Parts: sequence; structure tokens; C-alpha cells
Amino acid sequence: MFDRAEAIDKAFRERVTSDNLPDITNAVSHTESGLSTSDLVDLFETQVMSRQLDLIARRSKGRTFYSIGSSGHEGTAAIAKASRNTDMAFLHYRDAAFLIQRSRQHGGAAVLYEMMLSFAASSDDPVSGGRHKVLGGKDVFVPPQTSTIASHLPKAVGAAHSVGLARKLNRQDAVLPHDAVILCSFGDASANHSTAQGAINSAAWAAFQNAPMPIVFICEDNDIGISVRTPHGWIRASYENRPGLKYMSCNGLNVSETYGTARKAVTYARSLRKPVFLHLKTVRLMGHAGADIEASYTDISHIETIEAQDPLLHTAAELIRSGCLDAEAVLQIYDTTAQRVARVAGEAFARPKLESAREVMSSIVPTSGIAPEHKPADQLQRAAMWGKELAAHAKAQPMARHINNALADIMLDYPQATVFGEDVGRKGGVYSVTTGLQKKFGPARVMDTLLDEQTILGLAIGMAHNGFLPIPEIQFLAYVHNAEDQIRGEAATLPFFSNGQYTNPMVIRIAGLGYQKGFGGHFHNDNSLTVFRDIPGVIVACPSNGSDAARMLRESVRLAHQEQRVVVFVEPIALYMTADLHEEGDKAWLAPYAPPEADEALPFGEPAVYGRGTDLCILSYGNGYYLSRKAARQLADENGLKVRVVDLRWVQPLNESAILKQVRACKHILVVDECRKTGSVSEQIMTLLSEKKVARPIARVTAEDSFIPLGTAATVTLPDVQSIAKAAMTLCKGAGK
Amino acid sequence: MSVKETVVVICPGRGTYNAAELGYLHTHHAAKVEFLNLVDTIRMTRGQVKVTELDAADKFRMGTHTTGENASLLIFACAVADYLDVQERYDVVAITGNSMGWYLALACAGALSMKDAAFLVNEMGTLMHEEGAGGQIVYPVVDDNWQPDEDRAELVRTVLAEAEAAQGLTVAVSIRLGGMVVFAADEAGLKFLKSRLPETDRYPMQLKNHAAFHSSLLDYIVPQAQSRLPQEMFHKPAVPLVDGCGNIWSPYATDTEKLYDYTLGTQINTTYDFSKAVEVAVKEFAPDRLVLTGPGTTMGAPVAQEMIRHRWRGIDSKVSFKALQEKSPYIISMGMPTQREIALRTPHT
Repeated sequence: MFDRAEAIDKAFRERVTSDNLPDITNAVSHTESGLSTSDLVDLFETQVMSRQLDLIARRSKGRTFYSIGSSGHEGTAAIAKASRNTDMAFLHYRDAAFLIQRSRQHGGAAVLYEMMLSFAASSDDPVSGGRHKVLGGKDVFVPPQTSTIASHLPKAVGAAHSVGLARKLNRQDAVLPHDAVILCSFGDASANHSTAQGAINSAAWAAFQNAPMPIVFICEDNDIGISVRTPHGWIRASYENRPGLKYMSCNGLNVSETYGTARKAVTYARSLRKPVFLHLKTVRLMGHAGADIEASYTDISHIETIEAQDPLLHTAAELIRSGCLDAEAVLQIYDTTAQRVARVAGEAFARPKLESAREVMSSIVPTSGIAPEHKPADQLQRAAMWGKELAAHAKAQPMARHINNALADIMLDYPQATVFGEDVGRKGGVYSVTTGLQKKFGPARVMDTLLDEQTILGLAIGMAHNGFLPIPEIQFLAYVHNAEDQIRGEAATLPFFSNGQYTNPMVIRIAGLGYQKGFGGHFHNDNSLTVFRDIPGVIVACPSNGSDAARMLRESVRLAHQEQRVVVFVEPIALYMTADLHEEGDKAWLAPYAPPEADEALPFGEPAVYGRGTDLCILSYGNGYYLSRKAARQLADENGLKVRVVDLRWVQPLNESAILKQVRACKHILVVDECRKTGSVSEQIMTLLSEKKVARPIARVTAEDSFIPLGTAATVTLPDVQSIAKAAMTLCKGAGK
Repeated sequence: MSVKETVVVICPGRGTYNAAELGYLHTHHAAKVEFLNLVDTIRMTRGQVKVTELDAADKFRMGTHTTGENASLLIFACAVADYLDVQERYDVVAITGNSMGWYLALACAGALSMKDAAFLVNEMGTLMHEEGAGGQIVYPVVDDNWQPDEDRAELVRTVLAEAEAAQGLTVAVSIRLGGMVVFAADEAGLKFLKSRLPETDRYPMQLKNHAAFHSSLLDYIVPQAQSRLPQEMFHKPAVPLVDGCGNIWSPYATDTEKLYDYTLGTQINTTYDFSKAVEVAVKEFAPDRLVLTGPGTTMGAPVAQEMIRHRWRGIDSKVSFKALQEKSPYIISMGMPTQREIALRTPHT
């Protein structure tokens, strides 16, 4: 029989009827684990509900989508029972039983119906609004996610870290109780993924130095990842003796044993605030997913051997052998649930679907105004924080100082804000941008992390789940690429997949871009922002000078706090300490630091426009803007061109109407982009100008499609004043003098 | 093989036996002699008027028929007798009820024996009659077409917040009843509600002979109820039950100790969310139809309003509800003669 769903369904009925049940002579019993008879039946009901959902999903092709099931993993119901409903859980996609059990414990839930809505991708689905079959629920502390790999582990570590932090800082507005435990489940194949390795390593690293890390990693080991077998004993051998990590294991086919072990794991994590690796032995039934024909890579005899270990048969065996229920009652639960699920499916399939792009996209950007009102610090608090340093603010200073000052004011204003990253604490950052923050706000709020960008971004996501306002730093732009999925696949998608119910606001500071004098090399001068620019909902800011940087950083934090946005704040390293613009010593690129309440606000999307010339409009940002300003002077002095230079400031999303307003006022348009020719923001601007039929001569100056070399050649692939001026002159031939 | 239609049965609460229902038992259930004797015996043991006598009275008397002492078991007898007819004809997949209807649901589902259920209902009715304090006021939160009316809902929230802040009075949500909110209040609270809720049609309407059910004003009832009624009365239900929090009590998994604590604890002094109960019953058991047992027809509107709120089966207005009802009733109200007739056609397949 090739239809394994039918085979498993039939086998359950036959084996219960004929009393051909697994031998449980030496198995842990429910009474030994502290479960009552009602508890055991309750768990069995959940397991059956989960199974029947899988079966109906397999039987309703074309009406349900994304058919990865939970069959074989139904023992996770016992973990839900062993934990508190407020223990936030980041779930593996095979954990329907966990979610059902937790929802039933929460009460008042139409969990079968709601799960069927998600199977059917109905817009009525209260979790994702029909966008994906995700396991989640706001009421039950299960943030929805797709968990296609192990990319949810870093944020689980972040959430666990935030629990300890909230307690230490006595944050009364935390989402999670201060004694919460974080649960995070994944498969044995995913345990090999870098996100899993990194997250587990980070948790152990923290615990090793006695930092609170109340988390239970649940590795659901079914021996196989799609078609590739996990080497026998690999998971145990990998995790049994890790420093800082407590290893526990249990037979996930036995709910009683699973419950007992999960209780121990959760209690350990809660009382000692240390991480546990709970190795749960499971089986995978019905292949990887609906479209996966397991028989194409596995012997039928092996498939049947695995199916004989159906966890529902194990629970049925315990129910019957212990006298809790007779076989007839077991079958009655199984059959009435099947009928009930079929009826529920019938209703769910008739519910509406998402129909338009507008509907689909309505939750990409969280609804604004959902955050509590921000209460800024008063003058006395500010004076107390700054002390003697306050006097220095009036002096002209470079961008690095502006950002440093702004960060301090932000941390004072937002007690839930945290700054963390590699070397940001004691050292104050490799460019001294975070200098003094740890001294002002302590190591809990200004934290040195280990060297792992996935963990840094995961920390931010997880902390945001618990009410913090994370400001993580990625030390160099080139380093974000190994961790980009934490932004692309996790942080940016959370509002989308949760129908706007969950958000993870943050401002990710990233030092980057080229032009560093006396230095060079790709990894410290990366000049591509492309990785962020196509992610729906993400904002990318890139200041060119100190005053803008402080104001844009404040606006970015406001966007994160008030509008719950994910903001990437790219800081041009070469401009950190730049003082002069046209001549040595002119100090035109310095400015005094204005306090937040006295400073002019810089709203999201607003560009800066220098000059009112109409011969040429130069569009640029970051270093390109700085160079364009130099070029503009040269073009005016030497060629009499009347130029205006626009600093975009916000490079994603582009403020199209503001750009069009400036370019339409001018006769020629030059786009200057320090990033690579291919895929840079300049391409997007050219497309915009073309689509909006801006009938002007247009040219662009960009970096070559090259990596940045070391030493004196570091800037040869990049735009410079001369190349900008030359392009402008070619473009504006005949204009000017 | 023919399969019976599936139904969720909904039992009514207090206040559903009125003048129009006089003679209900006699008309519809005279043949259920054994059952009626069982109920009457409970009454006689306590020296109370038999329910069959109350039912056979020459005229309906507000002071007699609607008091907790009399109305409770009278309604119990009518509703449970209706259920006995329904269960033969349909596949009952779940049972729920409104307020006192929870006790009736327990009886229908077999969580209490008929005798124990009748005893419990009579005791609770008598207890409320003797000890009950405060009252209930009903107010709509839907418009005339049974669409959610956000202005009224906001008004209700405001009034509740004002009452919370006020000194010397207590107001709480007693029942969420589809398009209605039932408030529980002490005497000062009732006066406050009447002064603050704008008059519309016959609302705000105070329910006669009702106490401040499902609110903290009845905290003192809990120990009294538990001292009169032992936990041993409770069994696992034979049919799933949906309670006033929207929780499902399964036939095999029910912990009878918890069921007792809910029934004679939580349910007495916290909000009874009938809307949630109906929502969960409909979504989680997806029956072919809903059957509202008698007596009376007052449950039809709140249930239909809940269907409208969820756009269930295409029901999105009073008009579309009535159209569906005329075609093939989704909600069968046994208190309505025409629909009763449909319910009793046998069997439904």
C-alpha cells in the first residue's frame, strides 16, 4: 500500500481492536510521572486530534496546502502539559500536538477549526490571516513562524536572555513573567544547521559564565531529515557533554515518560535558569510532507517497522493496560475525533481566502500607534546622566560622537532600550561609537556578545518579543551576510505571518561602506546594501553627517518603538571622524550636538536638499553625498553649473515623490551611488525616473562591480570627486558658463 | 448506512418559562411519566409544589412561576424532556447551555444522573431564591439588524469603567449573550445602570426574580452550594460539554473534581460567556444544525446574533438568517411549534 496515511489509520484501528499493542512492560507509567488518569486521556485526545488533522490534510489535496504533518511527534503534547502556558514556545513545524494541548489548557479555544483554517489558507485564520500554515497563537505564547530550518533558535535564545534581563532590570512591562522558561523545538536534521549550532553554543556560552539562560531546546529526533538519515547516536554524542548545557533524553513515543522528563527539564531551566537540551526520540510517519514519497528512498519493510512504533499505539497501550480505558473507548475517541475533524474541515474549507495583493500585504508593516506612549527623560535626569560631558555637546563634533551622544540620550529616554554586539561594551566599539555607554547604563543594557551575528540578531528578535527595544550592532556590513536570514526570514516576516499580531521592533546599527583612509579590504569596506533593499517592510537609513545621524537615529528608534518597525541603520565608517568638506581645516562636516528636545526632528523619508540650482540635480547618500557636495562646489566654481545635491538619507523605501519633486525642478539628473553598479539603489532610482517618465538627461556614477582591495587601491573602484564632476560635465554639456 | 444528522444541543437559562409556555410539559411530555415523577419527587421531598402542578396551573403567575425556587426545576423538566426526544433522532455531538442551562446540559450529557441533576437544580434554584442578592439588567450591543453596534459596545465599556471607579456600587458583566450584555449588579448598581444606559426599545430591562448571577456578588453562594451538593454526584459526561468559558469537557478525559469546581465555583461567581460557548461549540463540533431545547424561544436571537458575528454558514444579517431558517433551519428552536415539528421528524439522516 503506497498510501501510508491510510495504512497508519487502518493499522491503529486493527491493532487496538485485536489487542496487538506495543509492549510497554518496562515503560514509564503515567502514575510514575505524576499524571492522573484524566491527564493521560487528555493527552491521548490531543494526540488523536493532531493525527486526525494530518489525515484529513492528506485526504483533501487541493483544499489544504503545505502538508508537513506532525504524525509520530504527537508526544510533544506532554511537553505542553509539563510547561506553563506563559512559557513562550518557538515551535518546530511538527508540533501541532503541542499547540493543541496548550490551547486546550488555555481554554475557550476553537483550536481544531483554527488549525484547519490555516491548513486551508483561509483569511479567517486568526494566526496568520491565511498567509501560511504556521503554529502560533498570541494567547498561548507561541509566536507564529514557519521554522523551515532552525532559524528560530537564535531568537529563542534572545527571548531566554530577555527573561533574565527583565528580572534584573525589574521591567514591569515585560511580556513574559520573570520566571518564564523558553521552549524551542526542532528536528534532528536541523540540529546540524548553523543557526542551531550557533544558538545552542550561545546559550551554553552564557550559562558557562552563569548568565541566566532559562531555555529548553527540544530536539525531536526522528532519525531522518527528508531523505537523509541522521547517523546513529549522533545527537546524543553531539550534545551529551557540552559545557553549560544540561542533556536529558526520553522516549517521545511514551507520553508519560515524555511528561516526566519534560517536567524535570522545565523545572531545571526555571529554577537554575540554565539551558537544557531535551533529546526526544520520535518517529516520522507519512514521510516528510504530502508530496514526499518515502518509498522512493526507503525500504517498505523499514517504513512498516517505523509505523509499528506509532506513538498513538503506545498511548493506547498504556490506557488499556493500566485500565484507564478499554479498547472500545480508545476507538470511540479515535473515531468521533475523526468525524469531528471531517466536519470542522468542511466548514473551514468554505471560509474566504485572501484575494488581493492589498489583503496579502496588509500585515507587512505593523499597524502604527500600537506602542505605549513614550515618556522622555526630563532635564534633571539628563543632566545627571551627562554630568560634565554636557558642556562638550556645544562643540562641533563628528558623526561618531553624534551617534554616541544620541545613543546615550535614547537609552536614557527608553529604559527598555538595549545596545549589544561585538566589542560594544568595555571597548566601546571598534570605532568608539558606543564609548561610555556601558559605564552609563551598565553591562546588562550595554552588552558584549560573543562573535556570532546570527546570535546578535536573534537576541534582538527574542528580546523584542519580551518588550525590549533592541539596538544591536553588526560590527561591519560584510558580517551581516552570514546572518541575513535573521532579518530577511525572521524579523521582517513576523508581522506578516502573524497577521500583525506579533512584531519585533529593532534598530540594527551597522558600520559599513568604503573610503576608509589608510585601510581597505572587502570585509571592512563592503559597499552593498542590496541585501536589505528587497525585504518587504524593512527600513534602511544611511546618514551622511553627524547632525543628521543623531536625528535619524532618534527617528529610527521612534519608528521601532511607536510603529514597531525593523530599521537598518547603516553608518558610513569613513565619515565617522570626517571634519572637513572643501578645504583642510574648514570643519564644515562637524556640528554641535543638540539635545533631543531642542533638535529639529527629522521625519522618516525626508531627504536633505543642498542648493537650489536647476542645471543639475545630484541624487546620492552617505559617502556619495559627501563627495557630491565637493563636486558641486567644483562644478559651480569651474564651470558655473547651478547644482542642487539631494541626500536621500532613507534609502529604503525611497521617498519617490520627494525625489521626483527635486529632479523635475532641474534640467539634468546625476545619480551618485557608492555601492556597486549592479543591484544598488541607483538602479532603483533609474527605474523610478524611467517609469515616471522624467524626460531629462540622466546619468549615474557608481562603484564598479568589484570587491574592495587593500591599501592604496582601496578606493579605485569607487566614485570620487573627479569622476562625479566629469560625469556631470558630460551630462550637462553646454550648460553653465 | 444512513447517518443521523449531527446537532449541538443548547439548553436555556432562567426566565424562559413564561405565560406562553404554561402547559408545556403537559402538551409535549405527558407520556414521560417516569421522568416527571422523578422530578416531582424531588419537589415533594422538600415540600414544594410539583412541577407538573405548576405546569398545569390555570394561569401563569409571575410571583409563582418565575421565582428561582419554582422556575428552575420547571425549566429543567421542560428542557431535559425535550432533550430526551432529540437524542433519539439526532447524533448529538456536543451540549452547551446558558447560565442555569449549564446544569441542564450536565444532566443531558449524563455528567449528573437525572435524579442528581434535578436535585442540584432545585437546590440551586431554592438557594438563589432564599439567598440571592442583586439583580440582572439586559442591554443590547447590536443594532436592529443584529449587526454588532460599536457605539453601544463602547457605551457598555464606558459604563462598566465608570461603575468600577464609582464608590458604593457593584456592576459586572454577568452573561455575554450574543447581541446582549447581561449585567449583574447590587441595588445601587442597578440604579446606576438604569440611569446611565439610554433607553432603547424595552432596554435596559431588569429581569424579574433574578439575582446578580455569575458575579462576585455571589461569592458567598459558592461555599453554601458546595456544602449542599457533594462532588460524588458528578460523573464524566457521555457527550462533550461546552461550558461558559468555552472550555470543552470530553467524555473520557473529564476530571470530575474539576467539573465540580467549575460548576459550583467558577461558574457561579464569574462571567458566563454564552457567546463563547456557542462559538466554540459551533466551530469545534461543526454540527449540521443547532437544537435549542424549550421552554421558550428567547435563546434563538442570541444564538443567531453569534452566528452573524462569525458570518457562519453565510449568515450575515437578520435578513439572511431568517431566509436560511425558512429554507432549512440551521437553528431549530423546540419552543417554536413549527420548528419543534421539524425536530421531531424521525430520524434525521
